[in-house]
Amino acid sequence: MHLRAIRSVDEMPARSGAATDLIRAEAVGVALGAAQSRQEILQDISLSVPEGAFVCLIGPSGCGKSTLLKVLAGLISPTSGRVSIAGLEPAEAARRRMVGLVFQDATLLPWKNALDNAALLLGVADKTMSRSALRDRAQQMLTLVGLGEVGHRRPDELSGGMRQRVSIARALALDPAVLLMDEPFGALDAITREVMSRSLLEIWQRTRKTIVLVTHSIDEAIYLSSQVHVLGIAPGRIVQTLDVALPYPRDEAVMERPEFIQLERRLRAALRSSHRPGETP
Amino acid sequence: MSLPSSMGLAGPPLSRWRSSTGSWLPALALSLVMLLVWEAVVRFFQVSAFIIPAPTAIAVALMREWASLADAATVTAREILVGFLASAAVGVALALLIVRFGWLGRALYPLVVLFQNVPKVALAPIFILWFGYGLAPKIGLIVVIAFFPVTLSMLAGLESVDPSLLALMRSVGTGATDILFKIRVPHSLPNLMAGLKIAATFSVIGAIVGEFAGASAGLGYVIQFASTQLDTPLVFAGLVIVSILGVGFYYVVEMLERLAVPWAPKFNTG
Repeated sequence: MHLRAIRSVDEMPARSGAATDLIRAEAVGVALGAAQSRQEILQDISLSVPEGAFVCLIGPSGCGKSTLLKVLAGLISPTSGRVSIAGLEPAEAARRRMVGLVFQDATLLPWKNALDNAALLLGVADKTMSRSALRDRAQQMLTLVGLGEVGHRRPDELSGGMRQRVSIARALALDPAVLLMDEPFGALDAITREVMSRSLLEIWQRTRKTIVLVTHSIDEAIYLSSQVHVLGIAPGRIVQTLDVALPYPRDEAVMERPEFIQLERRLRAALRSSHRPGETP
Repeated sequence: MSLPSSMGLAGPPLSRWRSSTGSWLPALALSLVMLLVWEAVVRFFQVSAFIIPAPTAIAVALMREWASLADAATVTAREILVGFLASAAVGVALALLIVRFGWLGRALYPLVVLFQNVPKVALAPIFILWFGYGLAPKIGLIVVIAFFPVTLSMLAGLESVDPSLLALMRSVGTGATDILFKIRVPHSLPNLMAGLKIAATFSVIGAIVGEFAGASAGLGYVIQFASTQLDTPLVFAGLVIVSILGVGFYYVVEMLERLAVPWAPKFNTG
């Protein structure tokens, strides 16, 4: 069923029981606008993300999946409900460098080279760090994302995929507990997407970060994640949650497996039902 | 960052006419042809020199009055330079104030736009009244004419930083002043340089207008004096020097641009 039971705060499990859940969202709602023209963007979203999990949010355009990610990142405060990251308010968690963010656009600074871009957030977040320590850390992260050799290049001298890798390195440099990614490969071509997805899985397995990734690609969602939340539209709500029981490490061959194809079919059906009844997408 | 992905590859369509490989030869050839036609028309129809002097007459006036023209050019160049620098300082300061302090921006911006609609040339006599006949009224006039493109273009650059990046910076606790000087200001440099190029040409106009309104030296003064003497060849000679000064000044600013913002998309003349 698409609505999970709404639990009030005092019905929540004791902290010890929630210890493995890094992210918890309880009946989160987001509405924009004044009373008359109030528009519900998200309604009654409840989800929990265990530490170290790779979770995808998928849904049609306008379902509010990016808004949900911004709520988790502490960039938007929910109108109702509550969100916690390791027991903290998301904004507080972000201030403590527990949240790494990657957008569809790499949003690099065009006048800084890849290394300085990778060091940017850590540099402003931790003013006590020495310049050389900062550069070492940024260099490590560039190496982790496969760009160890191109730290001196400016963004305009990098391909779209490379720019996005720098953006991932910039987020990882904070050593966040959670990596939140908003359609990180949405602007890339199909082949680059595949290569990037595989790299991301490797990075995830090396760093054991908890990742929440927004996508509108069914294949990408199944290939990457251990759990997929399907969001419906108007207002955005979770219509279905699928567990992806395919073993890691995965590579492109996993897409040929019958379980993958089975999941793909179920996810497609869930997405189809996620549109408003009677509406042609 | 919404930089064009084609950056460094294909330039904008205009570059077809502005490419460095095309060089200045076509422009030079066209100028020569136009000068020849001009000379021929003036000679053929025996146009009086005080209505339209032939290019050769202008060249003669240039050489005859070379010393005084050079003196005048020095005076005007100094006005342009000081006025331009003052305009840049005022323009940048206003843009920074407007962006950094929201309430001040809301107060200042409409006034700046309103002031832009005052015909600045009409202020010249008032500036003479207030500041006399020296350098000061010219600087004042240049600043009121030339600060606006600087402010406007820099504002556009300061405000066009990707909002997601700003949200990201703020989420890790970056303060507004850090964001202004580490992100917004460098980001605005390509826009600022575009504004400064406009300000450079406006500065030349400001200096000449200032000298027309009241001066005892400078190219504007020479041009005005020559026209009262019906010495039209000297008027044109003055215009030639003003143009050379203006073009030279523009290219100095453009060279600065290339040094200051090597990462910016190139829309330059090559």
